[in-house]
Amino acid sequence: MSIVMCAVVALETAVILWWLLRLIHPRAVGASGIPGADARASHAGRLPTGRLRAVVPASVLLRRSYSVASHPTGMQRSRTDVDRGARSAPGDASIEDVLELLPMPALTLGEHGIIVTANAQTANLFGYVRDELPGTPFTKLVPEPGLDGRAQPPRADRASCPESRRAMAMRELSARRKDGSEFRVELGLSTLRAAGADTTLAVIVDRTDRCELHRNRLDLAHLARVSTMGQLAASLAHELNQPLTAILSNVQAAQRFMAGDPVDLDEVREILGDIVKDDYRASEVIRRIRAVVKKGDLEVVPLDLAGVIRDVFFLVRSDAIVRATRIELDIDRDLPPVRGDRVQLQQVLLNLLLNAFDAMSGVPPADRVVKLTLEPDSPDRVRIAVRDRGHGLTTDKLDKIFKPFVTSKPQGLGLGLSICQSIVDMHRGRLWAENNTDRGATFYVVLPAGSVA
Amino acid sequence: MKTMTESGSLVFIVDDDDSVRRALTRLVRSAGYRVKTFDSARAFLDRGHDEDCPACVVLDIQMPDISGLELQRELDAAMPVIFITGHGDIAMTVGAMKAGATDFLPKPVRDIDLLRAIDQALERSVHLHAIQFELEAIHLRLERLTPREREVMALIVTGRLNKQVASELGTAEKTIKAHRARVMAKMEVSSLAQLVRVADKIGVSAPAGADAAH
Repeated sequence: MSIVMCAVVALETAVILWWLLRLIHPRAVGASGIPGADARASHAGRLPTGRLRAVVPASVLLRRSYSVASHPTGMQRSRTDVDRGARSAPGDASIEDVLELLPMPALTLGEHGIIVTANAQTANLFGYVRDELPGTPFTKLVPEPGLDGRAQPPRADRASCPESRRAMAMRELSARRKDGSEFRVELGLSTLRAAGADTTLAVIVDRTDRCELHRNRLDLAHLARVSTMGQLAASLAHELNQPLTAILSNVQAAQRFMAGDPVDLDEVREILGDIVKDDYRASEVIRRIRAVVKKGDLEVVPLDLAGVIRDVFFLVRSDAIVRATRIELDIDRDLPPVRGDRVQLQQVLLNLLLNAFDAMSGVPPADRVVKLTLEPDSPDRVRIAVRDRGHGLTTDKLDKIFKPFVTSKPQGLGLGLSICQSIVDMHRGRLWAENNTDRGATFYVVLPAGSVA
Repeated sequence: MKTMTESGSLVFIVDDDDSVRRALTRLVRSAGYRVKTFDSARAFLDRGHDEDCPACVVLDIQMPDISGLELQRELDAAMPVIFITGHGDIAMTVGAMKAGATDFLPKPVRDIDLLRAIDQALERSVHLHAIQFELEAIHLRLERLTPREREVMALIVTGRLNKQVASELGTAEKTIKAHRARVMAKMEVSSLAQLVRVADKIGVSAPAGADAAH
């Protein structure tokens, strides 16, 4: 965003300087101002000919804006206007020159959203030849720029002085190159009113890299989730094995009952009912696994945090048994509503729980307890705590562990907690660790109610 | 093997997973065995009275409270154990077999595998019972002996002659001969060889420097 702000400030400075120049050197800015052929010629002097015919009306409009030429609309201009609106001398900076100085695409738009001028950066970014742009509808470059029905963006205050322009509000939109490929940009629109006519200034910032960064972040989080599931693979296989075992034994028992004389149909019916339940149980395990390894964009929905915790609990249950670790849940039913991405928050909890297991691997089995608490932190915040009884963390580690590539595990990448941190940040929450007064450490996640990623 | 079921043997099934436990119980009952179930190893160990029939226990090796292996240790070979497991850990298998498990079956377990294992376990249980019964009987008989008779018995099973025993114990050979006869009668054996075998079974041994040189 800072590049954009610098550019906008630069642009505004340029515009102000330009107005000041006109005050000082009335003839410094603009052309001779004769409409018609001369205007055409001077205009031609700035832009390659090409589609000049179609451009003429717009160029005349431009002349009207910036020159002291008579207005076909017949508006009378006051003395101050003349002074201000002044004569320009050839060689002085024009609006087009200013636009060329900017490091990003910038355009001026006329009536009905038609491009009047476009700097070289615009042509480069969108893959056009420079002279193709004037006269083209802006919507060809940005399909939905949000211009209103009059092809003008809403203006705050017609009476405000040109110098007190507010900074443009940038919006992220889709843009289209000449070859049809789409990409993300940020667009800022502002109307400049000069000499009784409105021109729209459009500034574009290419946001492909930010999109890519976001996508990379999502991909990394996904990879981390898949890796976690890999660690849990053996335990999850066991989880699936239980209903499969029950189903097999039930079926084989049923087969024996069917061979009996008389057939005990009640028993067989009971067996069939149990088989259905076990099948559902198996598909629940699959559902939970799928929910974790899902790849995709953030989906912000109202969250049932108790349900999220429950699913995570079932995912790690077998692993906990193998590691002779107990999990205690303390869930408060009365919680302020939290919104967020279920998959990502589940990932955070999964990570914290597995870390807690690891922290206690050196502790005698009788002491291996993880306590998971979910309760309101205030009327508009929710707090989740994962408390272990391991060896705790050294004070310098309390912060460091959230940095990337910090790990105490020989096979670890050290990314889990830094990813958790960025997920919690996206939810406008907080994640931190504290040592317990007795033993071990507790990891806290606080999420604001109505939080949005 | 119908004999096992007819003789009123008992199969214990211990698994913390409700639906697995129910299914296994159905299967074993459908094959004609008597079944009792528990949802934890602790509950099984606290079950109370000892069974007076052949019995075995089918046990999931990985349960929350105490592990199957720990339970096996507590049972101390008094009852054959069949382990079933969803985890398939090799190290665990070896540990279990070394500790004397009758069998080790992976989940999901097939009916023929489980029932065969149960049959073998119950046979072994019968065998263990028989041994136990015999040992108890021998001990009862041993209790009939007076302390002196016990001393004499410990010496004669080493192969010493009456004369030698008499000199070691400082009595007359005639006395020893009488003791010997009473030992044989009370222990219900009719030859020295039998007495020796009985003595071995309950671990009656001579004092240090034992076997008489001949």
